[in-house]
Amino acid sequence: MAVEVSKEKYRSQVREVVLGATKEEGGTRSHTVKVGGETALPFLHFEGEMPNRPVVAMEVWDIVPEEWPASLKSYFEDVYDDAGAWAKKCVEQYGADLIAIRFKSADPDIKDASAEDCIATLKKVLGSVGVPLIVYGCGKSDKDNSIIGPIAEAAEGENLLLGVAEQDNYKSVTSAAMAHKHSIIAQSPIDINIAKQLNILISEMSTPLLDRIIIDPTVAALGYGLEYSYSIMERARFGSLQGDRMLAMPTIANVGHEVWSKKEASISADDEPGWGDQAERSMAWEATTAMALIQGGMDILVMRNPRAVELIKKSIDDLMQDNS
Amino acid sequence: MNRKVVFLPEEVSLEVLPGTPLLRAAALAGIEVKSSCGGKGSCSRCLVKVEEGKAIVKSTGKLSGEEQEQGYVLSCQALVGDQDLRVNIPISSRLEEHRILFNSPDNVDGEEEAYGAYDGYPLCTRFQLSLEPPSIDDNTSDLTRLMMALRREMGKSSPETEIKINTAALRGLAKALRERNWNLSVVMTYFPGNVEVITAAAGQNEKPLYGLAIDIGTTTVAIYLVDLLNGKTVLHHGSFNRQSRYGDDIISRIIYASEDEKGLNELHDSVIGTINEIIGQILQQAGINEEEILQVVTAGNTTMTHLFLGVPPDFIRLEPYIPTFSSTPAVKAKDLGLRVHPEAWVHSFPQVASYLGGDIVSGILYADLAENDEIVLFVDIGTNGEIVLGNKDWMVGCACSAGPSFEGGGITFGMRAMSGAIERVVVDPVSLEVQVKTVNNVKPLGICGSGLIDCLSALKTAGIIDRSGKFQSDLKSARLRSGEEGLEYVLVWADDSGVEKDIFLTEGDLKNLIMAKGAVYAAIRTLLRTLELDESVISKVIIAGGFGNYLHIQDAIRIGLLPDLEYEKFEFIGNSSLKGAKLGLLSRKALNKARKIGNMITYIELSVGTIFMDEYVSALFLPHTDITLFPSVESVENRN
Amino acid sequence: MGLTGLDIFKHLPKTNCKVCGFPTCLAFAMALANGKASLDACPDVSDQAKEALSSAAAPPIRLVKVGAGENVIQMGDETEIFRHDKRFNHPTAVAIAVNDNEDVDAKVDSINGLVFDRVGQHYEVDMIALVNASGDAATFKAAAEKAAAKTNKNFVLITQDVGAMEAALQVLAARKPLLYAADKDNYEKMTELAKANGCPLAVKGENLDSLAELVEKIVALGYKELVLDSGARETSKVIADMTQFRRLAVKKKFRTFGYPAIAFTSKDDPQEEMLQAATYVAKYASLIVLKNAKKELLLPLVSLRANIYTDPQKPVAVEPGLHVLGDVNENSPVYCTTNFSLTYFLVEGEVAATRIPSYIISVDTGGISVLTAYADNKFTAEKIAKSIKDLEMEGKVNHKKIVIPGAVAVLKGKLEDESGWEVIVGPRESSGIQKFAKAQFA
Repeated sequence: MAVEVSKEKYRSQVREVVLGATKEEGGTRSHTVKVGGETALPFLHFEGEMPNRPVVAMEVWDIVPEEWPASLKSYFEDVYDDAGAWAKKCVEQYGADLIAIRFKSADPDIKDASAEDCIATLKKVLGSVGVPLIVYGCGKSDKDNSIIGPIAEAAEGENLLLGVAEQDNYKSVTSAAMAHKHSIIAQSPIDINIAKQLNILISEMSTPLLDRIIIDPTVAALGYGLEYSYSIMERARFGSLQGDRMLAMPTIANVGHEVWSKKEASISADDEPGWGDQAERSMAWEATTAMALIQGGMDILVMRNPRAVELIKKSIDDLMQDNS
Repeated sequence: MNRKVVFLPEEVSLEVLPGTPLLRAAALAGIEVKSSCGGKGSCSRCLVKVEEGKAIVKSTGKLSGEEQEQGYVLSCQALVGDQDLRVNIPISSRLEEHRILFNSPDNVDGEEEAYGAYDGYPLCTRFQLSLEPPSIDDNTSDLTRLMMALRREMGKSSPETEIKINTAALRGLAKALRERNWNLSVVMTYFPGNVEVITAAAGQNEKPLYGLAIDIGTTTVAIYLVDLLNGKTVLHHGSFNRQSRYGDDIISRIIYASEDEKGLNELHDSVIGTINEIIGQILQQAGINEEEILQVVTAGNTTMTHLFLGVPPDFIRLEPYIPTFSSTPAVKAKDLGLRVHPEAWVHSFPQVASYLGGDIVSGILYADLAENDEIVLFVDIGTNGEIVLGNKDWMVGCACSAGPSFEGGGITFGMRAMSGAIERVVVDPVSLEVQVKTVNNVKPLGICGSGLIDCLSALKTAGIIDRSGKFQSDLKSARLRSGEEGLEYVLVWADDSGVEKDIFLTEGDLKNLIMAKGAVYAAIRTLLRTLELDESVISKVIIAGGFGNYLHIQDAIRIGLLPDLEYEKFEFIGNSSLKGAKLGLLSRKALNKARKIGNMITYIELSVGTIFMDEYVSALFLPHTDITLFPSVESVENRN
Repeated sequence: MGLTGLDIFKHLPKTNCKVCGFPTCLAFAMALANGKASLDACPDVSDQAKEALSSAAAPPIRLVKVGAGENVIQMGDETEIFRHDKRFNHPTAVAIAVNDNEDVDAKVDSINGLVFDRVGQHYEVDMIALVNASGDAATFKAAAEKAAAKTNKNFVLITQDVGAMEAALQVLAARKPLLYAADKDNYEKMTELAKANGCPLAVKGENLDSLAELVEKIVALGYKELVLDSGARETSKVIADMTQFRRLAVKKKFRTFGYPAIAFTSKDDPQEEMLQAATYVAKYASLIVLKNAKKELLLPLVSLRANIYTDPQKPVAVEPGLHVLGDVNENSPVYCTTNFSLTYFLVEGEVAATRIPSYIISVDTGGISVLTAYADNKFTAEKIAKSIKDLEMEGKVNHKKIVIPGAVAVLKGKLEDESGWEVIVGPRESSGIQKFAKAQFA
């Protein structure tokens, strides 16, 4: 007997956002990366389009990431002091689709590096890899607000993905993106309503930016409220497909940032014999978190462990196979 | 031992024991001082100035050094020490008479039509009897004779139940019968299980028969003196609930009542005292004595009803929020110490839940929800927002904590809707200049709830704040400036204000206000979503309570406080708690219906489940995160 | 996806008699709609109403049990497509494959040893999937005997050979294993076997159409304890089919697919396999059969399962207690807040952003926010004072100062009395923490 397959028809779709800019487009990237554009729930190719596969960005810091566990640090031992080399290794050896630079050195309590220092690092990375870049500040809003303008200006036309606009602090990064033709990350604290509110606030500063926003819904790591993030993703995706244009942005998740601070990522098998080998477990923790998120509809995963990146990319290959 | 304290500018003096807080001393002297935090030293509303002598200061709270030097103290934190004192209580620290609500707007006399329920089933009435005197042949007792006459008189409406008589009436019966040749006027009261002769007096009585309908509010108490024979309200009076000195909000009062052994008694005495004082004014004005008031019906929220009856309210605020009683039997006035006839029965409206009380049941009764096929939304906005949705078949209700913003609490220059309160705000979108209108058109002292809603709407429309309630920091206006708590917007310059200071709003004020409106709207949405309904099912929105009367529907919708429905669907019914109590006072059918209403409302606990939390965050935006819920606002903004 | 509370209410007597234990008929109707009450509790319900309601209340996906006695695993009885709408009821069971021609004792021992504890939860592998890899009935039976002696876990018996299935059932029938699988060739005999032994039966099709056909044939034979397998093994195809099972059963009330579903991994690399399984946990599998068994990979998998199957209608709480941010010392500030996850996350994020190593005490408020908890008497001076004491904060810092949320400034006096600590009233909103900390602690 023929089963009548259930196919949902949606009114709308996720906006498509282009990251990076090639020479012809005013930048220096060897290629751009498109995200979003889905017309159905994730990987249900039988009822809609998923024109762009989820992509993986790998993190590059401008200081030595002392807090990373040795099992993770060891991958990058040879490139710590050179952000350019680090980025190159991620792209060429580990297959990163994007590079996410964190200007940790700008933190007033670390090195209090100036905007010029950050720009120098940025230029180095721009020179060493051809993929589009994501830029994060140090995480302290006062300092980040002061450096984001100059950084955005120095890379005018590159269409960086600038982090992060938050509900209480969205104006400087929005202005920087508007003035110098970049895209922005709109970050909200695990709350779908605030995610939408922030998009509205940004759009009221600049309507054209609506097509250059990436939502960071702030994800929780596996075992730390991941289900909350998962459901927010599902609701947001479902809402966008049903016509909520203010939620219909592609999404980004700081998977590595969340996972690698957790006990599961660092504690040794000696201390938790029931949990098995630390190196493999921590890698699997990051990969599983990422996997759950792409099931919810995540478009950009910012990750750290090269093996986890490899696994996720392979899994995405499988998930992108036609299933109609 | 005692020290003398003189309060200025009245020059009222009294003697108190050292160690007495000035706040308490002022209350003893009959001056009510604001005390929003209930004497904990955190709200700074009870500011007074010690002009002579020295008080013992326990804590200076948030007072500046300068203020302290000038002699300002928090009256709850300053104790009488070993010196006599002269203390000035500024107007801004006093609880003043504010608008106590009796009727629908501009409609003092138009209420009668609602009393069609006065229906031949009185709760309390009077019979003029002329009995056959006894004789040797007809030797039944006085009482039996009276009962037979009453049964005849009551005819068909006579209940099957036994007619009782209270001891006092029985004791006077023989004399009363014989004093005016077996002519007697008898006051009867009826309610299930009790048909009772309240008084039996000699002769005919053509004077009105009085009863009281009382609305016991957390903030104010309002009373109607009603002629039970014709259903007319003879006069009304109201005043602040004197419990306010134990804190503005219900929670502080419950805590006070449950922490301190004397606490419950103090709160009980204080509300009875408030009522008796108002009765005193009524008696004086009407030229009657207290024995002439023979029936009382009260409606209040659950906590107020508990405290009125002297029942501990402790468990109302503890999960799972259980009140001691929902439907309460009537009690005799003499047991409560009310200044009415001691044998008069006092009925209290039933509660639905700890935060959905008899005042709401009374409002629902008055608004006639239980007779309607159409679905009606009933909203009572105060510190708590109480919301009921339903029709004659079903009703759901909930209570949310809106916080005190709508009553002026938690707002830097917030105040109740009394003289000098800004109630209207207009902002010019080009010049960003502000015009205000105050209650009684005097110099502004602060801003009240309706003014705040106006203001929020106006600031948003003029582009001074964004949708999250934050000031646009790059705005060019002298009114927007950086203050102690971040950005603030000046509504009235010191020169024009009645407090000799600039009157402004801070981002924190706006945030509190947005939280308050968000809670109310989220509660409405939660009721709808719990039943899987949407706004379109609502045929009418009834807005009860004092706040409603001064509300601009348009602004309330534009800030996302009320659902975006056609204006014609909104109806203000004023103090429906008081009006419902009057219905109950006149008709035992109405009183029974109130019982039924109390029994049929399904209480929805907002803290269970995640719908409310989700709706709440969604509502913390102007007007709302989901703009499709506010199509009229969207279209206005698109036009702009 | 069933009837709403109001739909059900229309059929109830509207007496508000309270005999059912609910305050009103509507409250009872809403409980019925949520599956939290039984219609039998109503004394006055009419037969007509009973009929109307019971057919509507039948679960769209059948509850199927594997195992016997106390040791039963329930599968199915799901009503939702999205977990945020209502809780997914029965977490995905994990089975690990054991071939009958390998060292069964050793493999079962190692599976028995896969036990983990995490955040107060104890996890182990749910089932052994015994595979008739040898193709020989006697070997299968012998393996069943060995495995049965080694473990109390439930079984999936994997063979399409009726003879082999029968042989293994001689050993395991009493433990009510899942029989895998009936196919188009063997279904009559397999159904008979399942029926005779009272065991659940997996049905394997070659695609959705053939599966539907087969299920209907088996149902026609009078058996309904079924588990679905469309035969797909590629990740993408599996989730498409799983999605169809769930949607058709829940939304279209298509009874043929109203059964729990089984999924098999196809990857050989243990890490790749685990991620494939993770996909199926999210996408509706009631049972997953894995080839590999490694602690460090199963732990994330079962943690994901725990996450996906939590109740979305309960506010998410964080662990109450002491949270340490950064490299604290005896001078580090101490903050306190509730254990409502959103509140806590916000506070933690802001405190972390101060870059001042700090302690945060999350007081157990049952997962509700600061103001609600205060009004609810769950965030009290006594409770905070007790936390300070229980967490031995005096041994950790030397300053005896605690920061409380500005929204509950009113607790200051009482908390100082109760704890003997100095109370600093923090900002009302977490967004003010950075500025506050700079002024107070920098």
